[in-house]
Amino acid sequence: MGKPKNDLLQGTLALLVLKTLARGPQHGYGITLHIQMVSKDILRVEEGSLYPALHRMEQDGWIRAEWGSTENHRRARYYRLTAQGRNQLREEEKNWERLTEAVAQVLQFA
Amino acid sequence: MSWIARLRGLLERDRLDKQLDEELRSHLEMRMADNLAAGMPPEEARYEAQKRFGNTALLKEDTRAVDILGWLDECSRDFHHALRVLKRSPGFTAVAVLTLALGIGANTAIFSVINAVLLHPLPYHHPDDLVMVWESNSQHPNPHNTVSPPNFLDWQSRNTVFSSMAFVFDERDNLTGNGDPQEVVVQDVSTNFFSLLGVAPLIGPGFTPENGQPGHASVVILNYGLWKERFAGDPAIVGKSILLNGHPQTVVGVAPRNFQWFIKDGSLTGAKPEMWSPFVFPQSFHDHKQMGRFMTVVARLHPGATPAEAQTQMNAIASRLEQEYPDFDGHWGVNVVPLRQQISGDLRPALLVLFGAVGLVLLIACANVSSLLLARAASREREMAIRTAMGASRWRIARQLLIESLLLALIGGGIGVALAVSASNALLAASPRNLLDLRAVTMDLPVLAFALAATLLAGLLFGFLPSYISAHAGISETLKEGGRGSSSANRRAFARHAFVVAQLGLALVLLTGSGLLIRSFVRLVGVDPGFDPGHLLTFKVALPRSKYGTDQLCMAFFRQLLARINTVPGVRFASMESFPPLTGLGAATGVHLLSQPPLALSDLPVANVGVVGPDYFAAMNIPLRAGRLFNAEELAEEKHVTIINQIFADKYLHGVNPLGQKAAIYMKSLAENEIQPSEIIGVVGDVHQMGLDTAPEPTVYWPHPELVMSGMTILVRTSNDPLAIVSQARSELQHIDPELPMAGVATMDQLVADSLSRSRFTMLLLGIFAVVAVVLASVGLYGLIAYSVTQRTQELGIRIALGAQRRDVLRLVLGQGTRLTLLGVAVGVLAALAFSRLLSTLLFGVSATDPLTFAGVAALLALVALMACFIPARRATRVDPIVALRYE
Repeated sequence: MGKPKNDLLQGTLALLVLKTLARGPQHGYGITLHIQMVSKDILRVEEGSLYPALHRMEQDGWIRAEWGSTENHRRARYYRLTAQGRNQLREEEKNWERLTEAVAQVLQFA
Repeated sequence: MSWIARLRGLLERDRLDKQLDEELRSHLEMRMADNLAAGMPPEEARYEAQKRFGNTALLKEDTRAVDILGWLDECSRDFHHALRVLKRSPGFTAVAVLTLALGIGANTAIFSVINAVLLHPLPYHHPDDLVMVWESNSQHPNPHNTVSPPNFLDWQSRNTVFSSMAFVFDERDNLTGNGDPQEVVVQDVSTNFFSLLGVAPLIGPGFTPENGQPGHASVVILNYGLWKERFAGDPAIVGKSILLNGHPQTVVGVAPRNFQWFIKDGSLTGAKPEMWSPFVFPQSFHDHKQMGRFMTVVARLHPGATPAEAQTQMNAIASRLEQEYPDFDGHWGVNVVPLRQQISGDLRPALLVLFGAVGLVLLIACANVSSLLLARAASREREMAIRTAMGASRWRIARQLLIESLLLALIGGGIGVALAVSASNALLAASPRNLLDLRAVTMDLPVLAFALAATLLAGLLFGFLPSYISAHAGISETLKEGGRGSSSANRRAFARHAFVVAQLGLALVLLTGSGLLIRSFVRLVGVDPGFDPGHLLTFKVALPRSKYGTDQLCMAFFRQLLARINTVPGVRFASMESFPPLTGLGAATGVHLLSQPPLALSDLPVANVGVVGPDYFAAMNIPLRAGRLFNAEELAEEKHVTIINQIFADKYLHGVNPLGQKAAIYMKSLAENEIQPSEIIGVVGDVHQMGLDTAPEPTVYWPHPELVMSGMTILVRTSNDPLAIVSQARSELQHIDPELPMAGVATMDQLVADSLSRSRFTMLLLGIFAVVAVVLASVGLYGLIAYSVTQRTQELGIRIALGAQRRDVLRLVLGQGTRLTLLGVAVGVLAALAFSRLLSTLLFGVSATDPLTFAGVAALLALVALMACFIPARRATRVDPIVALRYE
């Protein structure tokens, strides 16, 4: 299975998920809704990449999952940020800022 | 990727799959609910939700792969991390691995012997149904007395508990023709011997019931070794004729390679057989009046019958026989012994003691490694605390440390098994002859399984406490205090102190055991055998009765042989006797002193009978205490005289002058009217016939003409190295009869050494284990004190700065070591008192609680332990206060 298909995309997805979870525990569906809503429908997270990503982040110890119930009393698997995840989020945010700055500079220069 | 799939199947699949299914289903349902709420028709709501998932199977596959990979990854990460950690501190790793290799290797080596001797199935059909049936006399100490033929016949016809019974007795015969004459040990057996054991010959038909009829018994089965060596493995050997004592015998089979039958108790030759021959009872064997006890009996229990049931029934039969034949069977009972117990009887206590000893060594080794890990864990406390703070669970931390421990154990175990292979070879090389009567020691599957189990157990044992303490360390405390003075540090310190005390205690137990064995051995070596074993050559000559059919021919042969050997330069005396001392062989019978009231045969005093040649007492250097020795006339023809030993006189004559008394010695016959009493003409010193650890027994000596035996042990007293005259003695022998082999050539010193070999072996091994234990325990103590000195550098620096003298610092550090040592010694003495009685069967002339030994080993251990403390203590006195205060 090796490396993810697209590092940038994967990294971005992780950043979005971590950021979403920084607000509080959320289940997979909630994460997609939140990202879609906040990005005003520009970013749509594919379920096909969301779940592998979530499980990978869980293995890395950034997030931890627990079963809980939703407002509508439905069973769902909630993801929560760990301390390690919080550090990771800070890192990824920094990386993201650096990246966007760099891209902006390249665009300006050209 | 099949291995991933397989692992997944093995490990976590069900749980992970179900979890993922449920997670995805809940996602779908929530999306559907939202779609419905947004006003979509139900069908479309479902379709839309499904569509967004795309290929569900692929999604599941991808997610699952992440889960499984993650799990594998974690383990391999822990493993690699552990490997890196071990590599980073090669000193620690080397010490730990070596310690474990010693412990596991010693355990594996001893277990391989135990496996072969005590656990491995014997090479017979349903061996657990096989028992030995002995006679035993309430008035004599031997519980494994050989059996008389008429009693065997009565047992056979009256019992219902055995499916069959067979007899065996062995002799030395001369094999001639095709090659040099060779003495072979032949077991005379009943024709059902092989079928009872359930062993079929490798080739040939074996014995048939017909071979038990007179005139049909001239057949033999060869053992594998003799067939290969003497007959070059001739595949057409069956049906061929060989010459045994000059009589032709037809070969009817070759026994399988691993077949062996040797029961030391009851063996007349003391050697393993090379050939089997059926024996037909002549009429005299049915008569209680005419027969002695000389056969070994093996029986097979009916399926389901127990040895205890057999014992009960045989007791009843024996008491009936006692009533029917009070003269012959009075006081005689039956003793049923399972074959396995019979074979491992001698070795069992020694092996179990050694196994216990290596177990203790492994415990000490584990305590050492555990203590090392604790010391290291203290320095890694920050690392662990940071990992915990980063979100690692307690279980993660414990698991990582446990993986480190298991890795250490596995490396140690691997080296240990390699050590064990060479150790068990050395073990066998150093072991007494006939250590293993029936089995070979091999590194087979059970042994390797044992080694693996010992390794894993050791890993968990020494890894548990350090990882438990580390996993339960308080994080904030650790991060604040820098690891010192925290509660986990206190727990570690306590555990390490407890370990050192336990190690010293265990080491003392081993040291005590080994001390007791050494004292026993010294006692044993110090026993005066009653003769001078130096410069004495022994070998055996057995005359075939076919050629030397009369007593006159036998006597003439030996007279001529001794005369010729006496002419060899360097020979001082050449003599002979029936059974050499210290080999556990002898013949005993009842003796009636005519001055005492007559008794039933079975109530008579018992004495060994020794048949001797000219100059015997001079050659052996056995002192004459009273009377005179045999004169030339008595040595040439039957004059009815005998010489007794001191203990015979003391035990049976109670101060009455023995000289001139007449004794009826029931050897040649058991019928009183057939016996010509012998006159006692002398009293000589006592000899340890059965072994140095067995008290001398009453003995009567006869000159050769009184009881002409065809097989004798020749004794040659030389002025120099006795082995130097072997070739001349052989040429003298073959000058008289070129067909006679010279068997069992050995010096008497070798026979003495052989009789001590079992004690020496146990002593040596336990001694080695004790030394290893003491070294490990001292290293443990040294490590602890050295560590605490390092930790207290600052404190010591302040003390020195404030004017503490070298002596004060030394006392401070040594005080800590002394307290631990004394505690360990106290624990050890108590434990040794509890355990040393397990050794009692191995001890000779020393009590299991011998105060001298206890005091000696306690002092020795204390001394070694204090020396181990002294090295770090001296370092403590050299602490430079300036450096120490700048330390942090």
